Amino acid sequence: MSVAPNTLEWAGIGRADLARYLGWAGVGLGALAFFLVLPPVTARSPVVPLVVGGLGIVAGALALREGAGRRLATGAMAAGALGILLGWLGTRSNIESLDQVFVWSALIAATLRAATPLTFAALGGIVSERSGVVNIGLEGMLLMGAFFGFLGADKLGSWWWGILCGIVAGAALASVHAFIAIHLRADQIVSGFAVNFLALGITGYFFIEVYTDQGTPGDVSNIPSISIPGIRDLGFVGPAIGDMHLLIWVALAFVVLSHLLLFHTPIGLRLRSVGEHPKAADTVGISVYAIRYGAVILSGALAGLGGVYLSNGITHSFNENMSAGRGFIALAAVIFGRWRPYAALVACLLFGFTEALALRLPGAYGEDAAWTTLFRALPYVVTLIVVAGVVGRSIPPAAVGRPYVKQ
Amino acid sequence: MSTGPSEPTVQPPSEGPVVKGGGAAYRLDRWQRAGGLVAPVLTAILAFLAGGLVVLATGHNPIEVYKGIWNGTGLEWFYQVGSHGVGLPWSEASVWFPWDPGSRAAENLQQTLILTASLVLTGLAVAFAFRCGLFNIGGQGQYFAGAYVAIWIGSSFAGMDSLVHIVFAIVAAGLAGAAFAGIAGILKATVGAHEVITTIMLNFVALYAGLYLFGQGGPLQNKDQVFSPTSNEVLDEARLPVFWGDPFLQGLHVGLFLALGALVAFWVIINRTTLGYEVRAVGFNPEAARYGGISVARNYFLAMAIAGSFAGLAGAIDMLGWRFSIGFSDIQSSTIGFVGIAVALLGRNTAVGVGLSALVFGALVNGTAARNIPVEAFDIPEQAGNLSLTIQALVLLFIGADILILYLWAKTGQRIGVGRRSPA
Amino acid sequence: MSERPVVLELRGITKQFPGVLANDRVSLDLRRGEVHALLGENGAGKSTLMSILYGLYHPDEGEILINGEPVRISSPKEAIERGIGMVHQHFMLIPVMTVAENIVLAEEPTKAGVVLDFATARRRVEDIAAQFNFAIDPQARIENITVGQQQRVEILKALYRRADILILDEPTAVLTPQEAQELFAILKNLTREGMSIIFITHKLNEVLEIADRITVLRRGKRIDTLPAAGATEASLASLMVGRDVLLRVDKTPAKPGDALLQVEDLHVLDDRELEAVRGVTFEVKAGEIVGIAGVDGNGQSELIEALTGLRPIASGEFRVDERRLTGASTHRILDSGIGHIPEDRQRRGLVLEFSLAENIALHDFDRPPNSRLGWLRPRYLVERAKRLLRAFDVRGGGPQTPARALSGGNQQKVVVAREVENDPRVLIAAQPTRGLDVGAIEFVHRRLVEERDEGRAVLLVSLELDEILSLSDRILVMYEGDVVGEYGPDVTEDELGIAMLGGTRETEAVA
Repeated sequence: MSVAPNTLEWAGIGRADLARYLGWAGVGLGALAFFLVLPPVTARSPVVPLVVGGLGIVAGALALREGAGRRLATGAMAAGALGILLGWLGTRSNIESLDQVFVWSALIAATLRAATPLTFAALGGIVSERSGVVNIGLEGMLLMGAFFGFLGADKLGSWWWGILCGIVAGAALASVHAFIAIHLRADQIVSGFAVNFLALGITGYFFIEVYTDQGTPGDVSNIPSISIPGIRDLGFVGPAIGDMHLLIWVALAFVVLSHLLLFHTPIGLRLRSVGEHPKAADTVGISVYAIRYGAVILSGALAGLGGVYLSNGITHSFNENMSAGRGFIALAAVIFGRWRPYAALVACLLFGFTEALALRLPGAYGEDAAWTTLFRALPYVVTLIVVAGVVGRSIPPAAVGRPYVKQ
Repeated sequence: MSTGPSEPTVQPPSEGPVVKGGGAAYRLDRWQRAGGLVAPVLTAILAFLAGGLVVLATGHNPIEVYKGIWNGTGLEWFYQVGSHGVGLPWSEASVWFPWDPGSRAAENLQQTLILTASLVLTGLAVAFAFRCGLFNIGGQGQYFAGAYVAIWIGSSFAGMDSLVHIVFAIVAAGLAGAAFAGIAGILKATVGAHEVITTIMLNFVALYAGLYLFGQGGPLQNKDQVFSPTSNEVLDEARLPVFWGDPFLQGLHVGLFLALGALVAFWVIINRTTLGYEVRAVGFNPEAARYGGISVARNYFLAMAIAGSFAGLAGAIDMLGWRFSIGFSDIQSSTIGFVGIAVALLGRNTAVGVGLSALVFGALVNGTAARNIPVEAFDIPEQAGNLSLTIQALVLLFIGADILILYLWAKTGQRIGVGRRSPA
Repeated sequence: MSERPVVLELRGITKQFPGVLANDRVSLDLRRGEVHALLGENGAGKSTLMSILYGLYHPDEGEILINGEPVRISSPKEAIERGIGMVHQHFMLIPVMTVAENIVLAEEPTKAGVVLDFATARRRVEDIAAQFNFAIDPQARIENITVGQQQRVEILKALYRRADILILDEPTAVLTPQEAQELFAILKNLTREGMSIIFITHKLNEVLEIADRITVLRRGKRIDTLPAAGATEASLASLMVGRDVLLRVDKTPAKPGDALLQVEDLHVLDDRELEAVRGVTFEVKAGEIVGIAGVDGNGQSELIEALTGLRPIASGEFRVDERRLTGASTHRILDSGIGHIPEDRQRRGLVLEFSLAENIALHDFDRPPNSRLGWLRPRYLVERAKRLLRAFDVRGGGPQTPARALSGGNQQKVVVAREVENDPRVLIAAQPTRGLDVGAIEFVHRRLVEERDEGRAVLLVSLELDEILSLSDRILVMYEGDVVGEYGPDVTEDELGIAMLGGTRETEAVA
């Protein structure tokens, strides 16, 4: 041990704990290296991110030596390195641009907005995969929800109808996937992929049928925001949280509900048992098929709701293929969060942050600067790094992806 | 500590054979393996029928629509037999030929075959990876990688000998596709990152990279047209020669032969080389392969790289064969990599299957191109594109329904065999 | 015995699977408070019969009566409702969940009908365990407790659901002799409380010890039902197989030569980075069979994986024929004279979708004459396959047949043929007869002895003590990653059993 063993014993910290603390400290230092360069601190010397990020790398290395999980330790070192890089980049930017991009209240609000569709889809992914069914079709279900949610609000007059339609559309697509994957026992990835295509075709088709080439009308009934008078005036998070869209609140509530459902109710226990060991569940009388069907359809409903937020809540319009890969990013969040709702939420916020950032950067650095286009790839690159470097060997529910054959 | 004896892989409870002659699943499986066309053909037919239903449901006439699509494919050319002449290459002589090389149908057929060539290659990109047990959804990104490189090389290096220039561009594009896919391959081989997610992410990376490269102010943007987000044009000397049709009207270029060659190469590699043996072994049973001394990681990487090279080649023949430049809207609307997935699945990941399936999809996509649809069939011709998408999706879905056919088979088999459910 | 009421009766049960008649008009009755053994070799139909009783399969013909009334059991749920509980051979437990969660699954105690009541669940588990004298920790995760304890959890599952008929499917397959004794004590306890037990097994000695009555099945038919008193192992064996069976393999004494496999202080880590093999040292000489006995999970699998290059070696050495192979790749190891019959032929030994010829070539497909410069030459593969299939009397297909079409016994013959063809100096056989019928088992045993007589060194790892005792010239016992004892072929099962549980650490002098 590199730290005096007696001190640690006295503090009641075991070696494994020390390793874990070091690992997380490394991650934190890496993040700090970046944040110190941004407003309001706006450190200008490259030494700052170098030192702080360097400490992060050291912490990660120490964590590795003390026996921390390889993922955490390498994640810490990666965070440290990334912090140095991004911090250095930040010191090279001029201050006005930084000030323009990093308006924290706006960034937080944008983060929450971007994270919400991801959160809904991720919750759907968790439910489905925990029951043992891979759902690559989240992207399609999101899209269905986006279109039909908008259509419903438009044709049926109110945003409430829009939400309902979106949910039903997502669930309907999910039931196709469920039938093919569960009943017909086809390859779940192929099936999920096919429903994505199907969603593209269907939404595109009906989009042109109904809205021809004029696009969607601008005056469709919108889902309200909830204004909380007291919070609204607080510090820099005030405007973000105090005036938040209804569905964002719903998403956060659903995260809590999902956790409770999965880990504190009988139905959650049974769902998890079906995903871990369906034969065992079957032998105590649980209907594997019923639970899987229910889980997949629920996941479609959730993703559909996320889609409604996308079209009705953020952009107030619909474009073809507007889901733009969010369903897949949500899947990465599921893996990153190890199939647990709270951790997946954190992942969604991370991805939402990168998306928010990518949208704000062109504003500060000029529309003509071509390189700002590259920043729109940032969410996908981050997902890639996360899936590859930090997440690699996550352990999914044991029976996920394998069709269950009932004798 | 272990959890009891390890569970044996699925077997009926007695020590009898896993599947025997009497089993419907085994028979159908053997039939499919032997190249039985029944299931894929049925699948395609079912998909078209369902697509027709969708059309009907929205108040259009499916017959008109399908007729328009059929005419657009140019496949009718094959039954318009007559007496015509065709010129021999590199000579002035003319030879009798049963089909008219210059008819309207011929032009449509050329377009279909252009698409088919690209689809063969993107289909092989998916099929090769599948044989190793990997789901390569990154065909689109790998296509882009090859396309960008091909455009860049094709529009630079003026004064090179034509053949050298073309070969250079094509080889480089293939390598670019291989490298791009190799990233996902390495990630899978080293940390076990799921290739579905990594390749999808890479697709987006390639997409935005292209928007950057060829967009306003981007490094590869057209030097002469500063306000238009497209690339430079491919130089004349680097363009693929057209062997059928009018070069000024997008005739059929020799890329088709490259695609056919790729089909042969695919078959040979998979079935006649040790690499193919390893790839197949890993695809069927990575554990047994490892136990047999095969490096699973190495094969994951190689399979992805080779798959990516096919897709990169697709990018090359498209750029050098008929597009000659690439721009913002091209990049954003390109779906050829994704159609390749449907091609591979319908073609059951075999060489012959991919070839035929590429023809089917090429015909479908070309037939549903806006210019081919008569106005009576669809008010807005773009709808045909969505119909095409829907049909592709249905094809994918009904491939899953092969299981349906299997299920039905098995049920009828049981009725013939011993016993029904006992009432007791 | 005859006064006890009949609680369960199976009449004329018939079940057909594609190509195989698993049960052929089988009848059976069970009296209250008795232990009724269902005896038969692998594939006789015992598991199928019980699966029907438990609602996992539907019989094609026949009926089931409980306490005299005909009933229809169409799902495990209904079986449970009728008081039938089953302890499966492959445990139906969820490794990542706790004991309590596994036991109360599908009948969970709740607060207000919605929220799981963990405290009550824990209490109920403790209550039942106390009632039947089990010691179990409700909060422990299944993956962290021993196999013997897991089995108790399975039994508790049935008791929690108020079973009064208990079916146990090959329960001692994973237990040491001592743990088996503990199980028998538990069973006796249960019958005293009025439970009726059906005990499926293929082990003759157990049957005589625990059963009150024995029903023998062979190839799907019931051969006889007889009281245990008065039966002998030999008489039961001939009923099981239909002819007189050699219970021990005929072999001449070993003539060991030079040491071909030398293992020195080997340390190997398992998947969770814990030491699974802790400094094992032994050697296997040419012309002898060394058997490694031990309960599953004591490091045998990891040891074999290390010796075949499938798992990295943390420290230590091993040599084949004086050549150091520590750290070598699987490929090089296989080239250097080790043959390996893996314990799971379908997962590790064969690529089921490959043809027999391709499977046989699994080790040397990249060497001449099978291939040249990366080019496969199918003709050579097929020729060689034809020769081997004939030599090993493999039935069910030819060189082009996919491996999945063969029966388990024939598949194993293909694996053995391939390994032997490689002309190894050392042959490692792991669970070589798992899941095989008696004919195939005899074949494999005879073959192993033949290879020994040809001068190879044979290392046999098996969970079946019978097999070890009958084949080995020397026996090593592994416990918790160590070799804790070395014995000659005359050691008794009891002594081995004690060693397998970590008992005495003496080394008997080898004759």
